[in-house]
Amino acid sequence: MLDDVASSAVRVALKGLAQRQRVIADNIANVETPRFLAGRVQFEDALRTAVEDGTSPQEVTPEVARSLEPTRENGNNVNLDHETLTHMDTVLRYQTMLKALDSKYSLLRSVIRGGA
Amino acid sequence: MSGGPFRAIGIASTGVTVYRKWLDAVSDNISNLNNATTTAGEAFRERFVIAQAVDYGSGNGGVQVGGIELGSAEGRLVHEPDHPLADENGYVRYPDIDLGSQMSQLMMAQRGYQANLSVVDRAYDAYQAALQLGRNS
Amino acid sequence: MSIQPIGPVAGPLRITAPAGVEAASPGNAAEVFGNLLTQGVDTLQQTQANADALAVQAATGDLQDAHDYMAASTEAALATQMTVAIRDKAVAAFTEIMRLQG
Repeated sequence: MLDDVASSAVRVALKGLAQRQRVIADNIANVETPRFLAGRVQFEDALRTAVEDGTSPQEVTPEVARSLEPTRENGNNVNLDHETLTHMDTVLRYQTMLKALDSKYSLLRSVIRGGA
Repeated sequence: MSGGPFRAIGIASTGVTVYRKWLDAVSDNISNLNNATTTAGEAFRERFVIAQAVDYGSGNGGVQVGGIELGSAEGRLVHEPDHPLADENGYVRYPDIDLGSQMSQLMMAQRGYQANLSVVDRAYDAYQAALQLGRNS
Repeated sequence: MSIQPIGPVAGPLRITAPAGVEAASPGNAAEVFGNLLTQGVDTLQQTQANADALAVQAATGDLQDAHDYMAASTEAALATQMTVAIRDKAVAAFTEIMRLQG
């Protein structure tokens, strides 16, 4: 059900953003842990390429990498400001994607139910 | 809360726990800053909380207290002949804890504690929105 | 303060009689209705495609303004509801006519 490109892209984004949320929570929990390198979740580029090439976005899986930014004295490179702002952005985008999926379901529902 | 659909809240809560323990350690250090002992005894040893990533690299392990380390028991000798605990040369032993360093640690721990709590807040909103999926009309 | 008269509602789905047809005469009523329906379905497809394109942009993080997507998806929802309403009315009319003949 609902396997069009937009719905699939939205589902991939939801998956990626949920994982990004967990990774940011992990980064913030480890903001003072020695030798901890911040995690980064990437899925946007792969998703964009899949949509542009016309391949199925469903194949896109989010990838986690470690940040190579310079570290502080304790070998940690988590930047709390950056993580906090990215988290807000991620939550808002996650909510937008939920709305997108919801409106897809609503279209289907109004066709099934009719104008009554 | 090791897994499950609301994992981000669980991860942030590991952070809340670690920073609370750090706050406890710092307040312990500060309150014992002026504990004098006899030169024969041990000075209060500074508490260090060791933060350790859980399941590092997985991105959803969070953090834990890897252990508590204790500072030197030697402290510093202060010449206070009037002190009731002073030895025959007039010395007492004080912990060698720097208040300035404790205060900056207090700020770091507090900032970490609050940051993790606000992650819980935001993750809660996101999960609430997820639970509303499909309920629209 | 001047009070403006209430104007026509400008919805996402603008259904107007095809040019040159002012009032439907019994002879061409079917054609007029058919055109309305075709137009409606075309508009529906357009608004849905637009909402989909913006949803993909939001998914890849390329969406500039959140309100663009919200407006587009609401328009798609309204266009769908409008088309469904027209479909239901057409079916109801057909049923009514069949009932009169029977």
